[in-house]
Amino acid sequence: MTNVVEGIDEPRRGDAPRGHVPGDASMWFFVIGDLLIFGIYFVGYIYYRGQNPDLFLHSQARLNVDVGAINTVVLLTSSLFVVLGTTAARAGNPTEALRRFGVALAFGAAFPVLKMFEWIPEITAGITPGTNLFFMFYFVMTGLHLCHVLLGLVILCFVIRNLKTAATPKISFVETGATYWHMVDVLWLVLFAAFYLMR
Amino acid sequence: MNTKGQRILLWTAPPAVALLALAYLLFPVFSPPLSPTLSAEEVAAFFRDNATGVLGVAILCNLIAGSLIPLFAVTAVQISRVATSSVVLTYAYIICVGVGTTAFILADYCWGMAAFRPERDPELVSLLNDMAWFFFIAPVGTIIVQNLCFALSVYLDERPDPIFPRWAAHFNVVTAVLLVPSAFSILVKTGPLAWDGALSFTLRLVTFAAYIVVMFVVLRRAVNNQGSEREVLV
Amino acid sequence: MTRRRSRKLDQWITFWSVPFFFTIFGLVFVPLSWMMPPRSPSASTPDIVAFMQSHNLLVACVLLTLAYGLAPVSNAVYLMQIKRMSVSPAFRYTLMMGAITGAIVGMLFPMFCFGLGAFRPGYSPAVLSMLYDFGYLAFIGSLGCFCVMWMAFGLAILLDKNNVLPKWLGYYTVWQYMSELMAAPVWINKSGPFAWNGLMTFWFATALYVSWQLVVYTCIYRSIKKQPEAELDNADITRTRDSRTGAPA
Repeated sequence: MTNVVEGIDEPRRGDAPRGHVPGDASMWFFVIGDLLIFGIYFVGYIYYRGQNPDLFLHSQARLNVDVGAINTVVLLTSSLFVVLGTTAARAGNPTEALRRFGVALAFGAAFPVLKMFEWIPEITAGITPGTNLFFMFYFVMTGLHLCHVLLGLVILCFVIRNLKTAATPKISFVETGATYWHMVDVLWLVLFAAFYLMR
Repeated sequence: MNTKGQRILLWTAPPAVALLALAYLLFPVFSPPLSPTLSAEEVAAFFRDNATGVLGVAILCNLIAGSLIPLFAVTAVQISRVATSSVVLTYAYIICVGVGTTAFILADYCWGMAAFRPERDPELVSLLNDMAWFFFIAPVGTIIVQNLCFALSVYLDERPDPIFPRWAAHFNVVTAVLLVPSAFSILVKTGPLAWDGALSFTLRLVTFAAYIVVMFVVLRRAVNNQGSEREVLV
Repeated sequence: MTRRRSRKLDQWITFWSVPFFFTIFGLVFVPLSWMMPPRSPSASTPDIVAFMQSHNLLVACVLLTLAYGLAPVSNAVYLMQIKRMSVSPAFRYTLMMGAITGAIVGMLFPMFCFGLGAFRPGYSPAVLSMLYDFGYLAFIGSLGCFCVMWMAFGLAILLDKNNVLPKWLGYYTVWQYMSELMAAPVWINKSGPFAWNGLMTFWFATALYVSWQLVVYTCIYRSIKKQPEAELDNADITRTRDSRTGAPA
């Protein structure tokens, strides 16, 4: 008898997950705010680009688009594995999730390494933030982004540790970390388009 | 909890005070205090002629600049035993001490710099001397606030057996008030408010010396009365 | 009937000292001396000389010398909140050490650079220009001491299990850290949006900073108000006498 009564309630309990905000709500506050901050930088960049079109165009030509493109693929792949890992964690399969997050971390860690292959030749060739306004924007914004990537790698490590050691991994923590990492990815896509591609 | 550590630190204060008094007596810049009205050439000549004395005291003060910190640290520990609702006054006190000491050290550096190269452009030597006096006056601001924090903690102490006697609080307030004139010394170059004047120099140093002596006595009593009672600050 | 005074007076007095201090700070740096908003790094030498010799800079120095001791108090207000959190004391000590450094390198020293130029006539334009640069660079370009303070504060809020301050404030505080990173270019540029008076490094970073200050102190106000009396440091003291009248409480 009681089972029938519980059975009537089941669909309503099933509704709740659909309305659930993945991860920590305050991480979304951070993500949206961070996007806003980068947005303002982006607007500034567009404005000053409009003021100095030739300078910006010529400076853009000196960027290493190949490394930029590889980095884009690297981050996208990393994000993909984060998605796969989160799905596995939600499905109650922590070992699989662990493996996928490990791959995500490996790809993510490649980003700063590749960045060095991009920046160090540029800096030794005399292209520094002080060279002109374009490069100031470029180094500041990609630099800020790089800091976000490094922080994201640390967060991913903590997610992996949680998946490895906790008896029942905290899904909301995994989702929080994933949210942050996707934000980092989105930011890079915008930066790549703005600095490397937009002519 | 025994108070041996506090008592040891507290007793570093008398030798520190003795050394600071010695430094004061030996410092050419203070006896008599260098007038703000001197021209750049006169200032440069002064540091050239008194280089040894200035450098010697600068080195000494560089070494003993932090030597009153233990006294203030013990004060902070005792303030943390006061029954106020939070640690805010203790922390404010600690930060003030750190900031004031830094300013004092910078003053010392500037005077040392002024004496380091006798052949330096007189305009730069004069600038360094001015900078030193600015930084020498600055700790007045932190001492005023830290004293008010101390006094406030005494006035708000809810213990049935207060850590400090109430007169110690009044004394700290009076000290703070007496130090206020010194802050105005950079507005004038002559008179009692100038940095070599009776209010900004003499009154300030006398007040500060008396303050250290009195606080030493007050703290000794507070530490001795602590007995085995635990400190609060973590 | 004796009015029972608030048991949190130490917290409230120190809390209200903060808007008082920031008001003085604002008056000193803006209408009194017009140091802020910052003048241009590429201002002409006559402009720099005229500004650096203005008497108001000295008055500003005096006021700041008297008032800057309140900056430690405003930092102690953060510290007393962190003390209530479930995190290691190391977070408090980090913020404390950063605060001690920052008060001198980021506030007092730059103020003195501006005052020194005005103290006596006759300094060469080269010296005044150097003091002008040092003042602005130290004031706007002081980064690391504040970076570590906001990192410690933000992390403490995020890790705190006692929920003394809301979690979103922890993330907001992380942006404070970012605003320090954003100010780094002032050490390179002498004009444009990344100079010390620039749109990105000054105006944007200041907008972030000021809004954070308003928000954080509002949150702290609520936190002090909400703190139950049973949790106060002096909660275990039984007041057997009213401390003012001596009558039994």
